[in-house]
Amino acid sequence: MGSAAEFFQHLMNGLTLGGIYALIALGYTMVYGILKFINFAHGDILMVGSYIGLFVYNAIRGQILGFWTIIAFFLSMLVGMVFSAVLGIAIERIAYKPLRKATRLAPLLSAIGVSFILSNLAAWMWGTKSKKLEYPFNNAPLHIGGVAITPHQILILVVVIVMMVALKLFIDRSRMGKAMRATSLDQDTAKLMGVKVDRIIALTFAIGSALAATAGFLIALEIKVYPSMGTMTGLKAFVAAVVGGIGNISGAMVGGILLGLIETFGVALIGIPYGLRDTIAFAVLIIILLVKPEGLLGKAEKEKV
Amino acid sequence: MLNFVLLIFIYSGIYALMAMGQNVITGYVGLLSLCQAGFFAIGSYATAILSVTYGWNFWLTIPIAGVLAALSGVLIGLPTLRLKGDYLAIATLGFGEIVRNILNNWDSLTRGPMGIQRIPMATVFGLKISPYEKWGFLVMVWIFVLVGYLFFRHLARSRMGRALEAIREDEIAASSMGINTTKYKVWAFALGAFAAGVAGSLQAVFTLSVSPGTFTFMVSIMVLCMVVLGGMGNFLAVILGAFLIQFISYFPQLVGLSNIIPPQFKQVLFGLILVVMMIWRPQGILGRAPRMTLNPKKKQPKDSDGGEK
Amino acid sequence: MKKMLSFALLILLVGVLFISCGGKKEEGTATPAGTTATTTSTAAPAKIENIKLGFIGPMTGDYANYGQLISKGAQLAIDEKNATGGIAGKAQIQLIIEDSEGNPEKGLAGIEKLSSSDKVVALVGPVFTGVTFAVGQRCQDEGLLMVTPSGTHADITNIGDYVFRTVPSDGLQGEVAGNYFYEVLGVRKLGALYIKNDYSQGLYEGTKASFEARGGQVTIAETGQIGDKDFKTQLTKIKAAAPDAIYIPNYTAEMAQILEQASQLGVNIPFFSSDGFSNPEIYDLAGAYTDGVVYVGPTKVEESEKAKAFVDKYTATYGFAPDSFATNAYDAAYILFDALEKVYKETGKFDRKAIRDAFAATKDFPGVNGLINFAENGDLVAYQGLYKVEGTTPVYLGAYTVVDGKLVEVK
Repeated sequence: MGSAAEFFQHLMNGLTLGGIYALIALGYTMVYGILKFINFAHGDILMVGSYIGLFVYNAIRGQILGFWTIIAFFLSMLVGMVFSAVLGIAIERIAYKPLRKATRLAPLLSAIGVSFILSNLAAWMWGTKSKKLEYPFNNAPLHIGGVAITPHQILILVVVIVMMVALKLFIDRSRMGKAMRATSLDQDTAKLMGVKVDRIIALTFAIGSALAATAGFLIALEIKVYPSMGTMTGLKAFVAAVVGGIGNISGAMVGGILLGLIETFGVALIGIPYGLRDTIAFAVLIIILLVKPEGLLGKAEKEKV
Repeated sequence: MLNFVLLIFIYSGIYALMAMGQNVITGYVGLLSLCQAGFFAIGSYATAILSVTYGWNFWLTIPIAGVLAALSGVLIGLPTLRLKGDYLAIATLGFGEIVRNILNNWDSLTRGPMGIQRIPMATVFGLKISPYEKWGFLVMVWIFVLVGYLFFRHLARSRMGRALEAIREDEIAASSMGINTTKYKVWAFALGAFAAGVAGSLQAVFTLSVSPGTFTFMVSIMVLCMVVLGGMGNFLAVILGAFLIQFISYFPQLVGLSNIIPPQFKQVLFGLILVVMMIWRPQGILGRAPRMTLNPKKKQPKDSDGGEK
Repeated sequence: MKKMLSFALLILLVGVLFISCGGKKEEGTATPAGTTATTTSTAAPAKIENIKLGFIGPMTGDYANYGQLISKGAQLAIDEKNATGGIAGKAQIQLIIEDSEGNPEKGLAGIEKLSSSDKVVALVGPVFTGVTFAVGQRCQDEGLLMVTPSGTHADITNIGDYVFRTVPSDGLQGEVAGNYFYEVLGVRKLGALYIKNDYSQGLYEGTKASFEARGGQVTIAETGQIGDKDFKTQLTKIKAAAPDAIYIPNYTAEMAQILEQASQLGVNIPFFSSDGFSNPEIYDLAGAYTDGVVYVGPTKVEESEKAKAFVDKYTATYGFAPDSFATNAYDAAYILFDALEKVYKETGKFDRKAIRDAFAATKDFPGVNGLINFAENGDLVAYQGLYKVEGTTPVYLGAYTVVDGKLVEVK
């Protein structure tokens, strides 16, 4: 480990990486909180949303100039989010809803099936080549005391924070959010209290999928758009959700940032060979699950006999 | 054509071994483990390294492969047994990824991404069991499957088998009946991993080369699908499941369909089958009606799982 | 009832998706138009039995793009040949593509199917080293000619006499790279950032060996995993170690990330690369960041009519440009056609052993990649070209080879 500048550089890199994990982790955590299953197709919904956003952006980008490109960028992102939300609802209706009363394995395998279908249809329809998403702004890094920070990194952090705060407020303050929490605690009781559980579940999928599309579109600026873009990032994001305490919105944030920092500093500070980065992530997961199985911010549930 | 059909049967046998192992862990004890790929890899690399680097005979490497896999099964089993349902799934998934990650990066032992080539063929009384002469290899693999089946069937009917099922149905009740749940769970992991390790060993002398690309997370998923598709808790059904999944995944090639349809469609078809299967018959083809919940934390559904089904 | 309904919905959804992409087909880049094209072309009345060539590569999964690019190289050659009447003006050729998913297990299933069901006369591929070893041993045993356009591992051709390649081995490329960096570019401290896959690691090891044999030193070597997109941690470390140059022998997707992130981090160290850089996709993905990169690639043939015609035709047909591996596959197919015609003219049938012998006897074949010859062991006898990117255009620096540990420029 070298200078302080290098330290802050790693810190900045770790924070952005973690922010992305956190954003994707939110979708996992919301679905898990309510339906108690891992939506394996989440990463693929992210991918589809990014493609749609990319197509829209490429279609409208040519006609406009200057400041408006940024508006166009966010507009495209919005279209991608809406499309993902609809896709998420459709998937839930078709592949998960009939399985609500089945064993725990059934929705898991069904989700894996959906993931297969989405990623391979995307590869077939849109090709396997990475597609570039152009920056809507000049991404030349700003140098602050030897630390290079790109506008893209700032954008990611800002969007992540905005989304998190908005979501937190929505769930804690709004009526819908309250209904969501009720559904997550006990579906049957919620139903008795007049909560339209099916609608709440659909809403959860819609929000989770839209957040995934946001994350996908943001990282696509750097990593490009391709059919398997959501797979590994999605898996790591799930790890982040579990580390933070699955079902817990703040937990997803904490878990994501933590994972990003651990991955970056595990390599940079402790000098673990970079090849073992994924090992660090999963080892941290196992250790945290052992020490605190409910995750860092999760609530421990008493096992009922 | 014949050679290709035989190859499907060979792969079915290798995967049937792994699926039987998974069945002990998932079908019997009800633990959702997702790391057969890791144990499979450990078995494969054990045989590859011992026979290439140290010149061991294939038959000597098999028990080592099995035992090494079983030991790692204990290693992952012991700490994670406290975890429930999906938490266990994700932790074991992590373990599988760690194994592959290490294989890909421990260059001095495994040659990393370059893999290990020129694994000597298995021999019986000086006679080579060449993977190219399919019949001999097929017989060898299915002898292993048969031995595995007899062993596991015996196990299922023993005291241990009943204890495992008791844990699946209700862990707390089982432990209050004096069943040492931890001991049995660890045993289940070890046995499941052992079977996968042996399967890995066979795989190594079939492909005659190993590389980390084989042992992805997909392998674990496939094996789990075999168990679920066949019918959990029933070893014959699981063998059938292994064959069916292999058959389905090679079907387009078998009938020459792969020559005209885009390659992605095979995968899409597989995904569709998974979804449809789960909606229509989640207990598998030969499975009993579902009696298990993988997460005891979840409240028993209204119609009470354990009862009249 | 609900189940029925959801099932019907599912079928409907998939149906709609299929139809909607059917409409998009003509603009889609990776629709396997080639496969349909062949089936129609083979439907034309043929005078003798059609013959089949096999191809094995990753057509789905993370590396599907390479399978697509490379298979199209062989496909284009076959379509051209069929348009002129096929082998000896009589037999139409069909390319049968099998998906390996980058997994030796699937690759073996592919070769078994090609060999026993389709009865192919020869195999182009596989694409990656792991699969190539498993399939190569099978081909050798079966007595089936195999030509890999992209398997660079030095040891592949040692499998046996049925295994050939139209791509230079790691060994040769590494030797030229190491010597050129040391001698011509005057680099003494080399940094490296390679991916833990067979291609990148093979080149890194080859280059490191020859570079250090000359007295240079690899001062920092960082790695990335398959599928990684974020290399800032490694680049930050490399920047701190300040080598004279950074060697990045990777595939385009990773190199584009590395170059872009290096510029973001303010890494002002020259980058060197390998033949993976010859894929023009890099200029789409990395744009101006490619400026100044020096890379080892195939020898310069762009001026030749043949090469230009190939690139134009390929691009026009498939909507994307070929990389050097696709070019290798194209050449491999044409060399195969020559061998097949020769064997057919002499014997009237397609005997596998005879095809292998005719292929091995190839001398000075005028391919897109220049004159092609094979060494005794099946390796390509090749020189390496060196390029420097100026703006987004590669400028040719010359052709080199290494003789007895000495770098020799080939005029």
